[in-house]
Amino acid sequence: MENSQKFCELFFQALRIRLVEERIIELYPSDGIQSPVHLSIGQEAVAVGACRNLKKTDLVFCTYRSHAFYLAKGGNLPEMFAELYGKVAGCARGKAGSMHLAAPEVGLMGASAVVASTIPHAVGAALAAKRLGHDQVVVGVFGDGATEEGVYHESLNFAVLHRLPVVFLCENNGLAVHSSQKSRQGYNILEHARSYGLPVYQIAEGYDFVKVADTMSGITQHVRLTREPVFVEIRTYRYKEHVGPGEDFMCGYRKTEEWLAWKQQDPLEQYVNLAETFRPAILKEIDKAVHFAMSSPFPSVEELLRDVV
Amino acid sequence: MLCNASVTSRVNGQVASGPRGRAGTEIMSYRDALHWTMQDALQRHDSVLILGQGVDDHKGIFGSTTGLSQAFGADRVMDTPLAEEGMTGVAIGAALNGLYPIQTHIRADFSLLAMNQIINLAAKYKYMFGGRFDVPMLIRMIVGRSWGQGAQHSQSLQSLFAHIPGLQIVMPSSSQSILDTYPAVIDHYRGPVISFEHRLMYDLQFYVAPQSTQQETEPFGSRLVRPGEEVTIVATSIMVLEAMRAAEHLALVSDIQCEVIDLHCVSSPDWDLVMHSVEKTGRLVVADTSWREYGVCAEVCRVVAERNPGCLKAPVVTLGMQPAPCPTAKCLEDLFYPDLRQLVDALAVLVTGKEIHGLPLPDTQSMADVYKRFKGPF
Repeated sequence: MENSQKFCELFFQALRIRLVEERIIELYPSDGIQSPVHLSIGQEAVAVGACRNLKKTDLVFCTYRSHAFYLAKGGNLPEMFAELYGKVAGCARGKAGSMHLAAPEVGLMGASAVVASTIPHAVGAALAAKRLGHDQVVVGVFGDGATEEGVYHESLNFAVLHRLPVVFLCENNGLAVHSSQKSRQGYNILEHARSYGLPVYQIAEGYDFVKVADTMSGITQHVRLTREPVFVEIRTYRYKEHVGPGEDFMCGYRKTEEWLAWKQQDPLEQYVNLAETFRPAILKEIDKAVHFAMSSPFPSVEELLRDVV
Repeated sequence: MLCNASVTSRVNGQVASGPRGRAGTEIMSYRDALHWTMQDALQRHDSVLILGQGVDDHKGIFGSTTGLSQAFGADRVMDTPLAEEGMTGVAIGAALNGLYPIQTHIRADFSLLAMNQIINLAAKYKYMFGGRFDVPMLIRMIVGRSWGQGAQHSQSLQSLFAHIPGLQIVMPSSSQSILDTYPAVIDHYRGPVISFEHRLMYDLQFYVAPQSTQQETEPFGSRLVRPGEEVTIVATSIMVLEAMRAAEHLALVSDIQCEVIDLHCVSSPDWDLVMHSVEKTGRLVVADTSWREYGVCAEVCRVVAERNPGCLKAPVVTLGMQPAPCPTAKCLEDLFYPDLRQLVDALAVLVTGKEIHGLPLPDTQSMADVYKRFKGPF
């Protein structure tokens, strides 16, 4: 398996995301990045697996924890770093920071810092795709906490009611900031979603990018052909604190053992030699991207009131 | 767009006086103007989608969408679940992927359930992503009044939304205003627009320019609807009609000539027009459909105070709703809203400088009785 081309490609992409975020951790104390960062470390396989079978014209709507999806969907790395550094060359001209990355040229349709708020956008984009006769698949990415919001349910209902080509992708890391899922939810996410009348899937091995890619390939194909909605829950694990570059296992709300058990399964942790093979090329790319960001100009005064209306 | 209008008040008859872009010779109700613009948008743009609770039913949002679902299909004129936030999010997503959604709230009050999508998302999508996205959409909100609409069916929430950068807020005060605003917005403007339509105006007939002479107009900004010398009345929505009635009453009983400005686009009014007028007359009355506190009245005063407070010969007078939720009992509701008598009296006191000015006031009559020719339930 680890020698297959698919494995290697996905491994490379996941490793690239991790190394990008590890660079953010390294750079963060210098205060060049003045933006809250919600790191995807531990969750990379979800993004690279889910995006592998999407076309550029397929659309993805994300959350504030979206470095991984931005890169997996094909977002430009130098522009991402420039955005984190608040530079005008950033993907949003320095107005988004880490939480609102977007790359519409590759179908990454933005990320919101308000939980669940982009789920209906995915549904609406799917409505437009259906009306206009596009073959697009639209993916709405959200966490387990988002399923507690009313708009999640409103979105599921509408997508099923109108049979819209949207994938509801629940990236379940079991945490809403520091609150465990079982302290928040009196329902089972999958069973509850099923009650709306759409096919539901679960991928428990959210560290396994090949399994995610293969399952998502079938799901994407199904949605593209049938133009009907699907729900998928992918279990994953957040290695870092909710926001910021650090770890917080000492804080007591979760156990280090959970993390260690997850890392045991994490290919990026296990295939050290393969990682070493890819690392130099990726680091070189990151160096260039960071250099681009740091050497780019800050937004001018005119930028303050540009693009308001 | 600046334009003069000289019209005869016939509010109690068939045709209401109101702002007119050009010499109007045809007559069209506010409701029919809305229906015409909705139909026109569907006809001219395949991308237009109307969505809202009950847009396809026999009442069709007080007649403004009646029959359109049957004519254009349920996928273009779409009834929705009772899910204001979700449906606003759906509209945003549809706008991001090529459609032009027109969303309806049969009462503006219901839009409060969609504040997250309107304020956190629609208003910010363009700026927050550095201009990478446009969210072209129109949200129609109807302001209720009379027949016991009460606390949750009567709110006029323009200042709440106008406070937020990224939104354009319009308040059409006549059929012509709708004809001038909606097609231009739908054709040319690429951001979210919220329109407050006043329910009491739906049944009113207005003069409009003949179809053949309809011109492209600037959908935003403010309109000078009546020239005058002694006092400036800045008004919104149905208060523009009240201002016109007051101005015409005073013109009949005195030498007082009121200048009336329809603020129209409360998010980006034509402040130069307002200041030019106030500098000329030296007196200002602001008449808004909502509460005065932190609202349009307060905002107009802010701008005058910042730009040229010295031009005022007397303190500003503001009229709006009483600082309470709207009551249902008619005797209280009539006290809750300003009436024509109060407006005329305020103008007369302001211009003459005398509390006892001796000018005859119109009979006290609740605005609802004047404008409303329907009775509930509705």
